[in-house]
Amino acid sequence: MTQPSAALPAARRFGPRRLGAIERRNLRLGLSFISPWLFGFVALGVFPILYTFYLSLTRYSGLRDPIFIGPENYQRMADDPQFWKAVYNTLYYTLLAVPIGVVVAMIIALAMNQKLREIGFYRAAFYLPSILPVFAISFIFIVMLNPGYGLVNHVLSAVGLRGPNWLGDPAYTKLALVMIAQLGAGQYALIFLAGLKGIPAELYESASLDGAGAFRKFFSITLPLMTPIILFDIIIGLSLALQIFTPAFILTGGGERAAGPDNSLLMFVYFLYRQAFQFGQMGYAAALSVVLFIVSLLLAWAVFKWAGGWVYYESERS
Amino acid sequence: MSRFVGRIPVLVVTAAILAVACSGATQSPAASPGQPAAESPDGSASPGASPGASAVAGEPCQSGATAVKFWTEHTPPASDTLQKIVDNFNAANPDVCVTMEIVPGSETDIAKLLTAIRGGAAPDVYLVDRFTVPQRANEGVLAELPDAAAMAGDYLEFAWAETQFQGKTYALPFDTDARALYYNKDLISAAGQDPAALDIANGAPTIDEVLAIADAVTTEDANGNYDVLGWLPGGPGPGGQPGAIDQGWHYTWGFAHGGSFADTAACQVTPTDPGVVAGFQFLYDFAQQRDPEKLTRWASTNVPPSPSGSQQAFVTEKLAMVITGDWRIAEMAQYKPDVEYGITYIPVPNEGDEPATWAGGWSVAMIPDSQAPEQAWRFMQYIAGTEGQTTYTQDTAHMPTLNALLEDPSLYDEQHAQFLDFLDVAHSRPPLAVGAIYWDALTQAQGSVELNTAEPMAALQEAQDSVQPQLDTVGC
Repeated sequence: MTQPSAALPAARRFGPRRLGAIERRNLRLGLSFISPWLFGFVALGVFPILYTFYLSLTRYSGLRDPIFIGPENYQRMADDPQFWKAVYNTLYYTLLAVPIGVVVAMIIALAMNQKLREIGFYRAAFYLPSILPVFAISFIFIVMLNPGYGLVNHVLSAVGLRGPNWLGDPAYTKLALVMIAQLGAGQYALIFLAGLKGIPAELYESASLDGAGAFRKFFSITLPLMTPIILFDIIIGLSLALQIFTPAFILTGGGERAAGPDNSLLMFVYFLYRQAFQFGQMGYAAALSVVLFIVSLLLAWAVFKWAGGWVYYESERS
Repeated sequence: MSRFVGRIPVLVVTAAILAVACSGATQSPAASPGQPAAESPDGSASPGASPGASAVAGEPCQSGATAVKFWTEHTPPASDTLQKIVDNFNAANPDVCVTMEIVPGSETDIAKLLTAIRGGAAPDVYLVDRFTVPQRANEGVLAELPDAAAMAGDYLEFAWAETQFQGKTYALPFDTDARALYYNKDLISAAGQDPAALDIANGAPTIDEVLAIADAVTTEDANGNYDVLGWLPGGPGPGGQPGAIDQGWHYTWGFAHGGSFADTAACQVTPTDPGVVAGFQFLYDFAQQRDPEKLTRWASTNVPPSPSGSQQAFVTEKLAMVITGDWRIAEMAQYKPDVEYGITYIPVPNEGDEPATWAGGWSVAMIPDSQAPEQAWRFMQYIAGTEGQTTYTQDTAHMPTLNALLEDPSLYDEQHAQFLDFLDVAHSRPPLAVGAIYWDALTQAQGSVELNTAEPMAALQEAQDSVQPQLDTVGC
């Protein structure tokens, strides 16, 4: 392989250089090998994103020619009470669902990590709900959360509690969504489980010799070493929570009956969907998706900044 | 022993997750499989949130016939009749082959159609809720029908007006309907009340008269929850969601109180019109006096989110009186033939007030860039013409929009014929280019008012604030 010559002037050494014939050939081959992905990325990723930015500056029904209106769609958001309701609902749900999701996934992972002969069965059982389609789970929950004959309220009444009207009372609708989201915790539990398996056993043995109990070992060994995976879970969870749509759509009757009592299930993407496909306002919907994109980026960046203080990377220990 | 104790947490979590994963077998009595599909807010069967589309097997066509794709959101029993009309058309027109497909959607949700048009896989003809025609025409979803103008005089005036946008015709009216008060004579008699007091010969009952009978019929279970309700004039809707049980919609009570929902000449929506506010105030007071939480719990328990005809609370006899439409006649005959019930005017606020109802209905429209516009147009004329409307009227107990058929007594039995009288006092929803948006905004307002979380004027003002700017954008 060619190496920069020490005899070359400094500017030339560190500036762009011409590729050799073999490198050019390798580049051509490499690009042609990844060209299907490149095409897909540009045609189905980059172009739609840029086109969405353009559409967000237009009035567009989805069928007629877009009419350029500048930032009008963005100005409209500020005065749209449903926009703010959707923002509130989505942030409320995100702040509840993400932390609870991390805790549930961790509990399931710890259960999956037990040294039992039949643990394979338990792991399959824990993972089972994760492979069910969200819309199917949502339909199941409509029945389970029914105040009259639902399983959840039957359990509550068995211990002397009067169960709420989960889907009819605006105070409880988002909690119902959080419950549904936990059925997807199995797949994150698998990632947690891989992390748990990677913790050296000698750390626990040393802690045991020092007299540490189970809780001390969990909080002083397991949790710190799992923080990179917890961060991953939070970032992914954040992204999914901000985009929640299917359960809200199904629980509210598929768009027939508004977005839940007092619009309490009007999630951001559901609001976006209604604007685009029920009201034929693709331009406004595009502006909403741009806002969601930017807010998601900012939140992910904020979480990364925050994570610098508590995530422990063993490989970076010096 | 200690090994067993160590397994307890794992077993508990496993059992909980398995219970959830396997609970698909848990079915409410009102949501069993095999039931007819959901009924839409406008009365006809609609698939609600069903995820897929299904082609309906009709009679085979002759080879070489020009294909015409026809999409509808209707489901059985209404779609059975639509298929019958399609088959009749195909038999009479061997050079054309219409295939009908049931697609997901609702009055205000045409996502499937929009994406199909963009994807080049659109149907030629679509059955569209008529009050949304101006909005869909403005969006470019529907093709203009220049040859239709000469047919204006054949149809009910209000139905024709709903197919117009900026002076052009975008659909042909299909059916219409009207709303009325249905009352279960058996339940009312069992409560010691006299159902004859509601006989239509006495004219329109007052709201107070109906409430007095309803309160006598209402029963509670051992937990203090409503079991049978005497009447629920509006909502909460199915599944305890915003909206109406059956047809107790915002429009129903706004019109009943003399309200006007729009000033089309001024291109203004008027949800804060005093009559509309009065209608919402009635719904607010009704809920407040009977506990909104208990009413929502009753709706959640007794009416599934997208109820089919057989799952309606009036049909299951959990509701003694309900505002519903003419199509319920056919469904009662199918699902509850032994129940004695009567039909009368929607109750009026004060004795002597002019009764009111409203009429809706569907229409057939052509999709732009149809591959077979001439054949599609022939099919549209057939289904919205004498043959199609006659079949639909007789089989589904809806009403025709063709003036000539409204005067044909052979199409109506005694019960059905009452609705011809109701049409005389019927209003219609304003034909606006924001019809679907306005409907949804009113539905949300109704939901909040019935939960008593918003005062009528505040909720309706919010509806106006969200809809009027959009109407200003598209115009009238």
